[in-house]
Amino acid sequence: MANTTEKIKILYVDDEQDNLFGFKATLRFHYQVFTAIDVTQAIAHLDANPDIRIVFSDQRMPEQTGIDFFEAIRVSHPLPVRILITAYTDVESVIDAINKGNIFRYIKKPWEESDLFSAIEEANRYYVTNSLLTVKHDELQKAYNELNKFAYSITHDIRGPISGLMGAIDVARDISDMNEVKEMLFLMEKSLKKLDMYVINMNDYYSLQRGELIIAEIDFNEIFEECKSLFEVIAKVNTVSFTINVNQNEIFRSDKVLIKMIIHNLLSNAFKYQDESKTEKAVEANVEITNGSATITVKDSGIGILGNHIGEIFNLFYRATSQNVGSGFGLYNVKTALLKLNGHIEVASVMNQGTTFKVILPSI
Amino acid sequence: MNLAFIIIDDSELDCFIAKKIIQQNDKRMKVAAYTDAITALRQINDNTDMHANLLTIILLDLRLPIMSGFEFVEEFERLPADIRRKYLIYVLSSSMNRNDKSRVDSNENIVKMMDKPLTKAAFDIILTEVKAKKN
Repeated sequence: MANTTEKIKILYVDDEQDNLFGFKATLRFHYQVFTAIDVTQAIAHLDANPDIRIVFSDQRMPEQTGIDFFEAIRVSHPLPVRILITAYTDVESVIDAINKGNIFRYIKKPWEESDLFSAIEEANRYYVTNSLLTVKHDELQKAYNELNKFAYSITHDIRGPISGLMGAIDVARDISDMNEVKEMLFLMEKSLKKLDMYVINMNDYYSLQRGELIIAEIDFNEIFEECKSLFEVIAKVNTVSFTINVNQNEIFRSDKVLIKMIIHNLLSNAFKYQDESKTEKAVEANVEITNGSATITVKDSGIGILGNHIGEIFNLFYRATSQNVGSGFGLYNVKTALLKLNGHIEVASVMNQGTTFKVILPSI
Repeated sequence: MNLAFIIIDDSELDCFIAKKIIQQNDKRMKVAAYTDAITALRQINDNTDMHANLLTIILLDLRLPIMSGFEFVEEFERLPADIRRKYLIYVLSSSMNRNDKSRVDSNENIVKMMDKPLTKAAFDIILTEVKAKKN
């Protein structure tokens, strides 16, 4: 049944004004009823109200029969459920229309009120089921597309490093210079680390897609304390100055695992995409919590992102640079997590000067 | 046979392996490795990639950031014929994707697709084929 705040919208087209009045009088308390004296008016209603769920039409109208009208809107306005009202026993054409799928059912004229109500209820159920099916279909399509990307990435990102390592072992048999062996071991280690990171990120990706949120109080000081110990080592090795400012004086609630994942990804990018040629390298993280909203900024002095790549950096498996190649998972996971937490992210970047990511999150 | 090689691969390990295999075969062969296709293309276009008139084999990975292997080939096709004449493109890829395979097969600027990384056996095949082409 239609709820009081948002009544189901239905449309009736008939060339007899009396029928339109009668129809509206019967149904207007339960439904939002639109009426049209001809097909042109009916289409105008459909265009203006794409959420009309059910369309009734008289069969015998001067310019176009109801069946022809339905056949036409089936293409132009496929969503509403179509019900024919006819006083004549055009059995042949009605059966034909039903079989072609142009109408959901038909009602005899003059109608019984109970017939109208039951037709609307059933048509509405049909409409809702179809809409849910469409939503599910879209979700499935998205899952399929990502699966395809996965299948493709597996050969490159998993098989690639494995074949590389096997090739390296093979080549090593003919290398006698110890320095060359060491150089190769270093590259082999790098390749394995990348593979390991890929698996970790893939796990993040999976938990994000399937996991439920666990909302708890978040202590940003604690989260950044953990990050600090992890990234300080990297900062030291690569001579990058690393500063953190946390300003939290109020309770903030969200999902801790997701927030950690977001911060971790942004910080790891900030260190990863430093400009090796610069003497002054820096990463700066700031967190400010005010009025139930957290603003996290991560700023680096790195290589920057080319303007025309910025739109794509949040796409799965997209990589905008060949320096220190990532897995193509990181920012995609960040974006997915933010979607779940109702947050959003902004990027500002200048080539060769650095990039700033700004995340804004509401307390949940 | 005097030849030069250009390796385009974002995996430094695979670049290293290819370099070693080429030089284990013949120390005098010239090898340049690039981890991105754009720099490689620029060098080829400027004709500064190395040895002016040496026949050069390009060993090209497909999945590269920013400019993919296929995009590289598209750009390469736009270069003047007297530059292109100097090069032979072999695709080296770990891709088992059928679309990639058929795209490679249908492209007349690519000699063929081989599994990555380069192996001695694969390198011998390339050398034999190049010799046959030259004669």
